[in-house]
Amino acid sequence: MTSMSSGIQLTPEMAKIVRNQKMQDFLFHKVTFFFASLVLIVLAGILISLIITSWPALKEFGPGFFFSPEWDVVNQKFGGLTSIYGTLVTATLALLIAVPLSFGIAVFLTEMCPNWLRRPLGTAVELLAAVPSIIYGMFGLFVFAPLFATYVQPFLTDTIGQVPVIGALFQGAPNGIGLLCAALILAFMVVPFITSVMRDVFEIVPPVLKESAYGIGCTTWEVVTRIVLPYTQAGVVGGIMLGLGRALGETMAVTFVIGNAHRIRASLFSPGSSIASTLANEFGEAEPGLHYASLFALGLALFIITFIVLSAAKWMLVRMEKQKGAKS
Amino acid sequence: MDIGIYNRRKRTNKIGLTLSMVAMTLGMVVLLWILFILFSKGFAALSGNFFTQSTPAAGSDGGGLANAIVGSLMMVASCTLISTPIGVLAGIFMAEYGDRSKIASITRFVTDIMLSAPSIVIGLFVYAILVAQVKHFSGWAGTMALSLLAVPVILKTTENMLRLVPGTLREAAYALGAPKWKVSFSVILRAAKSGVMTGILLAVARVSGETAPLLFTALNNQFFSTDMNKPMSNLPVVIYQFALSPYDNWVNLAWGGALLITLTVLGLNILARVFFREKS
Amino acid sequence: MTLDTTNLKNAIEVRNLDFFYGKFKGLKSINLNIAENKVTAFIGPSGCGKSTLLRTFNRMYDLYPGQRAEGEINLYGENILDKERDLNLLRSKVGMIFQKPTPFPMSIYDNIAFGVKLYENLNKADMDERVEWALNKAALWNEVKEKLNQSGLSLSGGQQQRLCIARGVAVKPSVLLLDEPTSALDPISTGKVEELVHELKNDYTVAIVTHNMQQAARVSDFTAFMYLGELIEFNETKQIFLKPDRKETEDYITGRFG
Repeated sequence: MTSMSSGIQLTPEMAKIVRNQKMQDFLFHKVTFFFASLVLIVLAGILISLIITSWPALKEFGPGFFFSPEWDVVNQKFGGLTSIYGTLVTATLALLIAVPLSFGIAVFLTEMCPNWLRRPLGTAVELLAAVPSIIYGMFGLFVFAPLFATYVQPFLTDTIGQVPVIGALFQGAPNGIGLLCAALILAFMVVPFITSVMRDVFEIVPPVLKESAYGIGCTTWEVVTRIVLPYTQAGVVGGIMLGLGRALGETMAVTFVIGNAHRIRASLFSPGSSIASTLANEFGEAEPGLHYASLFALGLALFIITFIVLSAAKWMLVRMEKQKGAKS
Repeated sequence: MDIGIYNRRKRTNKIGLTLSMVAMTLGMVVLLWILFILFSKGFAALSGNFFTQSTPAAGSDGGGLANAIVGSLMMVASCTLISTPIGVLAGIFMAEYGDRSKIASITRFVTDIMLSAPSIVIGLFVYAILVAQVKHFSGWAGTMALSLLAVPVILKTTENMLRLVPGTLREAAYALGAPKWKVSFSVILRAAKSGVMTGILLAVARVSGETAPLLFTALNNQFFSTDMNKPMSNLPVVIYQFALSPYDNWVNLAWGGALLITLTVLGLNILARVFFREKS
Repeated sequence: MTLDTTNLKNAIEVRNLDFFYGKFKGLKSINLNIAENKVTAFIGPSGCGKSTLLRTFNRMYDLYPGQRAEGEINLYGENILDKERDLNLLRSKVGMIFQKPTPFPMSIYDNIAFGVKLYENLNKADMDERVEWALNKAALWNEVKEKLNQSGLSLSGGQQQRLCIARGVAVKPSVLLLDEPTSALDPISTGKVEELVHELKNDYTVAIVTHNMQQAARVSDFTAFMYLGELIEFNETKQIFLKPDRKETEDYITGRFG
């Protein structure tokens, strides 16, 4: 122990403690660094393993694999187009339906909701976002699809189905399950998530900004569309793209009701498949060889597509935060 | 003042807000409908046998989901044990060294992507590097897949919670001459304890409901087994298989399982919120 | 800036100190001495650099990339700005109390023991003794002796700050840096802390930053007046407050600017 008035003297015990501390901190840095870098290692690993395992298919079919609609297990001819088409169509359609709904709910929660209801409803939305997607799939298969087949599909066939050009999308046997049904179930699943993001983003708007708009006589709708939305646009777009990313990769909500047919037809009523549903259905029985490799190629395609969408989403959200930092 | 313009604006406002209310009602109705179906069909399946008997063979009567419940519990528990240290330590790195490190900003970016990445691809990955190598499905493979999903969640919440600890507390610990690791563990992590636990609970809730990553890793097991080296029965995959089957008792059990999973996930989420609110 | 320090030993000697926040120069050519076992106060308007200066004495700024100091700060003859210097060791010798009370999320006992355990290996009896000693020094012992196992966060604001002071003295540093220690406290707690500072100087060298001039006048032996990153005047406290040399000092003290 050093005396108080003689400055900083280094006794041998203290020197040892200092040395130990240096080593402890060194280890601390290395260990935590290692675990943090595991995330990057895993990402690289996923890409590499997918590429390696799908290589036989990519070599055999070339880049045309992703544009070929064939999927013939017997003759070992595979192409990714049907699955990719199904993935893109269901996800896009789901978002087209979900985004306006989410927007409306978010507007309600932030602008119109009475105060006592705000927290419970907000919590309810967040909890719904946590419900496992297999629930939505089961709901779709057992409850929604039959009702869809009985009431909605005939209705659509008789109305929009009669319109030239667009009508072709709504023709066909009312089986219930199919691309449109899958898109709807996917939409239900993704609404709570997008609503949460939108609501969080709307709440960041400084109250002064809204108050000054109200102060000059703007209506609520005008405040939302002319003030809140532009202010939060990067965040909103980011949130939508996050939802898109999830919808693209979703397995269970889609597999139950998409119909699992490898074909592309004009009508949205027709059964189809998504990459995730194909994988879920066929992986169990795939023989090693081209089938197996083709499935991995599909997985690779899905991973790359979602990676791009999610990166763009993240970039948007980062921009939103920078903007918020600059303005506040 | 042009009363025409004003009226038009009022009308637009009314239409917009009404549509919002419609969206709200529609959204709530559908989601409540789903929950109602789940609860009514699910509770009907929860009989005494549900928790005690294992999954019935195809075509046979009765049975329960005991093996699936145990399997899921084991895999989720081992996943938690593995992913918590990894996620927390990685989160500590991001919070302590993150401002000066390029690797940290890349990791943050990648973590956010992994949070929303397709879980079925994670399953494929684990299949390729583990299951295909040892030539059999296993509970461990399932655990690995779940861990890959849980770590990003824990990492992100840990980092965020650690960053929320006020800078003065950190400085006060350094001011006593404490080495960095002690400041981090004994003071900062401790101060952020409840937030970090919340993150872990949320990660557990998330992986409890995941089906896709288990399809190609743990697969399923018709019988009761606690051997993690073999295919392991689990609730999500059982639900998936039984729901799509033509057997009534299987479909029934599927609903029961679905209810059980949902209650667990919601329960953990609520617990996390209450826990966090209490402590902070 | 006339000050006779011939019969005083200096704990800290600052020579030509410049400080940078990125490109911005926060401290310009500071030269002064902090006398051993005396209380030196730093006063000046917001942004004058007094806290910045205090934080160079224990190299606290090192935690933040982009902040750096140039020049010399000699602690008992050794330049602490040296790159090779072990910061943890330095900080165990130069303690700091902050404006906001910062009790660690542990029991009162563990708060005090935390710093001591870093560098000393005491058995339970010795540690108990040290904890009691430190809490006595901070005039907190009687209030908490029955509840040493309760969380430090369960104390009132004034008690928490005294706990932080106890924590700081428990490791027996040479110098104690107090950065506006009473600005977050009520008047009664403030009074108690000021009494403490008076006693502490018998064993420690104290440097205190305060924006409360009356406090500086009450507790310190020497006062440094700073403005816009420069040391304007440094003298015995009596001198500074009764007959300041510089006009800027006089203006500040008489409240012409704040």
